[in-house]
Amino acid sequence: MKAEEVTRLLGENAREVRVVNERCLFARTDPEKLHAMLRELRSNGVTHISAITGVDTGENIEVIYHFDCRPAELNLKISLLKSDPRIWTITEIYPGAVFYERDLMEMLGVKVEGHPNPKRLFLPDDWPEGEYPLRREWREKRT
Amino acid sequence: MTFIIPVGPQHPSLKEPEFFRFEVKGEEVVDVDIRLGYAHRGIEEALARRNYQHGVYLAERICGICNVVHSTTYCQTVEQLAGVDPPERAKYIRAIIMELERIHSHMLWLGVAAHQMGFDTLFMLAWRDREHVLDLRELISGGRIHSATNTVGGVRRDIKQEQIPKIIERLRIVEGRARAYVDLWKSDRTIMARCSNVGVLRKDDALKFSAVGPVARASGVNADVRRDDTYGAYGDLSFSIPVERAGDVWARGMVRLMEIIESVGIIRQALERMPSGPVRHPFDLKIPPNEAVERTEAPRGELLYYARSNGTEMPERVRIRTPTYGTFASLRPMFCGATIAEIPVVLWSIDPCFGCNDRVTLVNSDTGEVRVVTLGELGRRRK
Repeated sequence: MKAEEVTRLLGENAREVRVVNERCLFARTDPEKLHAMLRELRSNGVTHISAITGVDTGENIEVIYHFDCRPAELNLKISLLKSDPRIWTITEIYPGAVFYERDLMEMLGVKVEGHPNPKRLFLPDDWPEGEYPLRREWREKRT
Repeated sequence: MTFIIPVGPQHPSLKEPEFFRFEVKGEEVVDVDIRLGYAHRGIEEALARRNYQHGVYLAERICGICNVVHSTTYCQTVEQLAGVDPPERAKYIRAIIMELERIHSHMLWLGVAAHQMGFDTLFMLAWRDREHVLDLRELISGGRIHSATNTVGGVRRDIKQEQIPKIIERLRIVEGRARAYVDLWKSDRTIMARCSNVGVLRKDDALKFSAVGPVARASGVNADVRRDDTYGAYGDLSFSIPVERAGDVWARGMVRLMEIIESVGIIRQALERMPSGPVRHPFDLKIPPNEAVERTEAPRGELLYYARSNGTEMPERVRIRTPTYGTFASLRPMFCGATIAEIPVVLWSIDPCFGCNDRVTLVNSDTGEVRVVTLGELGRRRK
């Protein structure tokens, strides 16, 4: 699907749609609408999740799901409150996201509920609880 | 009853530290779990604390073997953030060096795969032939592995007209050797015995677990970023995408060997069609708030960079998803049902990434005399 077709498929549930070119687009949705949207994508032949990115924006943790819609790359964002960032796992729809969600949990402290194996992936075993190295406060503390 | 076999972090078949926890029932592997992070260097955060120009040097040190594809993807992402389009000639030079990288990466893989299956003659031959490609890289960029070619807005070195015949001649040798390897891969009994029906990843599992690169293509998934989400000069070059259906170690090898032949063709076309002109555009390090995603096809598969700018000379966030990381989710279906003795060759068949560079060639600029110095000698010289 090209970017225009992906935009049509996302429909009214997507906000702030920005089509960079026919092969790349950004969009935003609400966390409660995310899973229905992903099921819709999956049933329309979008099988490949490229990555999940987490960004600390200050008050929120922004989670970006990158999907390969062949050829368009869809970058779908949700915002989670930094005080309690919680999201249900997407591994039931996209099993390939299993490691990316573990990465998101330990690096940014997002609680991915229902994850099949929520263990640490990169950080050492003796890394202190509640310390998330890609959060802004951790950066400020270190510098 | 099942037993746990821990493999790693110091692993006999890998030069990189990773820990695998294999659950076995008798000889058969029934489950696998992985623990990463022994070589985690915090590069995403380090990139966010350096300016865009310094980031190029860091990005190309993420992986020794894939250094050009990393720096190219980083530069493309930053160029997209800033709205700068590099000159056409620079795009062709990037494609040429990236394809040379793919060839030598696959030849390195072939050598170690042969070693894993006890076929050391092929290991020696593959690594001997890989030297042709490393010589070309040295000719073009001055570095056998690390080329330091890319910069934001283009490339730092041009390919000179007098270098082109030398490149063509060496490519002829490499292509001949690659064709011989393809014949060997199809006919040799040792290779067949060690690779056929071993570590099978079915197409539906490859799709389900979002496998990338040669691993996905060996399972019948016809996907390649160079064609599907074309970038740089690839849109002007014609090439085919080798796809196999068996999904086993043999198929993963076959895809890589066929890709060597395709890459030779890509480089020949790029050398012919390369337009003249500048190789670098000026670039302002201060980039207004924006975000960009770029994908490329590294030797091991889809490589993704995401970057967000904030109006300063440093990015707010850089996210990198390397191809090997994208393949790990597919390990479980690949290993389940395999035997313990097959673990090293199956693991190597995904071509987990490592970089090595343990020798230096000294060239006397007055006489042209070439002398090879080992790492040990180099250490003694420093003292």
